[in-house]
Amino acid sequence: MSDELTAAPTTTSKLPGPLRNPVMIKELRSRMRGRRAFVVLTIYLTLMSGLLLMVYALFASASRANPFGPDTRQAGKVVFGAVVAVEMFLVLFIGPAFTTAAITGEKERQTYDLLRTTLLPARALVTGKLLSALSYMLLLIVASIPLQSIAFLLGGVSLVEVLLSQLVIIVAAVAYALMGLFFSSATRSTLAASISTFVVALGLTAGLPLLIGTLTTFVGPVLFGPGTPPWPLEAILIYLGLALAATNLPATIVVSEILLLERDAVLLFSEFIGGRSVVFFSPWLGFVLFHGVLAIVLFVLTVRRIRQVPRR
Amino acid sequence: MAAIIEVKGLTKRYGSLVALHDLTLSVEEGAVVGFIGPNGAGKTTTMRILTTLLQPTSGSALVAGYSVSLEPRQVRRVVGYMPDFFGVYDDMKVWEYLDFYAACYDIPALTRSGMIDDLLALVDLGHKKDAFVESLSRGMKQRLCLARTLIHDPKVLILDEPASGLDPRARIEMRELLRELKQMGKTIFFSSHILSEVADICSSIAILEAGRLIAYGDLDDMKRRLRPQRLIHVRTVDRLEALRVSLGENKRVTAVTAGTEIGLAPGTLAFDFVGDDEALSALLTDLIGQGFPIVSFSEHTGDLEDLFLQVTQGIIQ
Repeated sequence: MSDELTAAPTTTSKLPGPLRNPVMIKELRSRMRGRRAFVVLTIYLTLMSGLLLMVYALFASASRANPFGPDTRQAGKVVFGAVVAVEMFLVLFIGPAFTTAAITGEKERQTYDLLRTTLLPARALVTGKLLSALSYMLLLIVASIPLQSIAFLLGGVSLVEVLLSQLVIIVAAVAYALMGLFFSSATRSTLAASISTFVVALGLTAGLPLLIGTLTTFVGPVLFGPGTPPWPLEAILIYLGLALAATNLPATIVVSEILLLERDAVLLFSEFIGGRSVVFFSPWLGFVLFHGVLAIVLFVLTVRRIRQVPRR
Repeated sequence: MAAIIEVKGLTKRYGSLVALHDLTLSVEEGAVVGFIGPNGAGKTTTMRILTTLLQPTSGSALVAGYSVSLEPRQVRRVVGYMPDFFGVYDDMKVWEYLDFYAACYDIPALTRSGMIDDLLALVDLGHKKDAFVESLSRGMKQRLCLARTLIHDPKVLILDEPASGLDPRARIEMRELLRELKQMGKTIFFSSHILSEVADICSSIAILEAGRLIAYGDLDDMKRRLRPQRLIHVRTVDRLEALRVSLGENKRVTAVTAGTEIGLAPGTLAFDFVGDDEALSALLTDLIGQGFPIVSFSEHTGDLEDLFLQVTQGIIQ
């Protein structure tokens, strides 16, 4: 057992900079120790398998009317959609749950002051907490690849679709995990951090589309009257709609997928409005840009909050 | 010796509450300073400022020449801090706990192993190296935290109530550990409620009351300053009343009291004496010359509790 100690530093010393982060090593060591992590992984994969089985069974029973049996390409798309939906739930709600206790947990455990008197920079503390939370989520996503690959066996899913969905999900995972970290550094208790994070996450995911839907239904006709609005206003409204879709993970994935399938639009697409062609962007671009900037801002704010020497 | 902690006019206000008022003190390198005072006196506030965890409202504090407000990183390099209440990561092994903090202090991975073994040996936890932190007793956790405090070999140790909540045996072990650290040349600045322990280890004391420093200096000097007369106990086999009369006739002797009145053994007298060692020796020679059968003659120096009560008298409302 005694050589365990000498073995650990030698191993970590060979790792590249960010992976030598002591906070990340500690967090991963604690998280992966014992049965909890593996029980969670098993439950996750079991639920995911059950869900895919159910989705496929529903699809097959709905296609009974088709004399040629279920369209496997369609089935592949449905299975892929279900996997992406689970991943979205994971990054929107499970990821932040890992980080909301990151700083408040240290305060509640009375270990925060001990950490702050060390030479560990605030930046390294935030990076370590973030990477450890993301690593576990990555493990869950990677572990579900064999299930995801069923979609490829069935066909109907292109590589571009897979790459775009994974890019958007990864960016969202980083942004939402950082949101949890920010509220964890800004509040006194894990409960307050969790409530704040989920209120904002739910607001962006469900609240904003609900608000926009309500406004479009009730206020739109009053503002613009019956008939088609003038072309510049219509173009602005489409841009606004795409920009708003870019703040919402499910909306981004659904709209980008539709544009990809119907218009073959990976980056940009054009629309004829008032007899002229206007170029628009696919919402995933806006999503990556918005959430990328949001992640940077949240990282900087969290580091600043941790670095701050309290006056009280 | 040069001052390693220099505090000038340190003040900390929380709204209208003044937690620390114009604190000025200087601690020499290698000194062991006991920081005493009742709850809410400002001890923890002072320590949190010195360890860069709290910003002072005004005044300055330097540790090893570095300003706690302007150069916190340099201060952290030379200070080891043990708070009064602290948590440990329960899901870690003892060596992992120290390895984590060593990494946080930028100690190279290859040198950590030997250092951890040495520290665990110092705090007598070598046999618990592979145990989980959660399995340690309170005293062991306290010693582990002290080992953590020493991981970067700091010059100054700031320990807030290091023996609080420990059983008598663990307190003795902690006191021995502090003595060892003192011998290693560390400057120790520690607070305690247990005055006898402070008196046992420290070279100087600082008494804080309602955010104000009311006494600071060498313990023996302070005792002498606060009590100019020397309190002497003398015990005789016989002729107690004659001895009382004889002492009463001496000009240097004041306030002779029967020992039984103040809880001393029968046949004992207690008296105040004004004079140096030669004068005291001359008095003893004189008494023996008069044929008193004296069996003991000793100076009672008084303890820190007496001093604390004397210093804080009238300040606590």
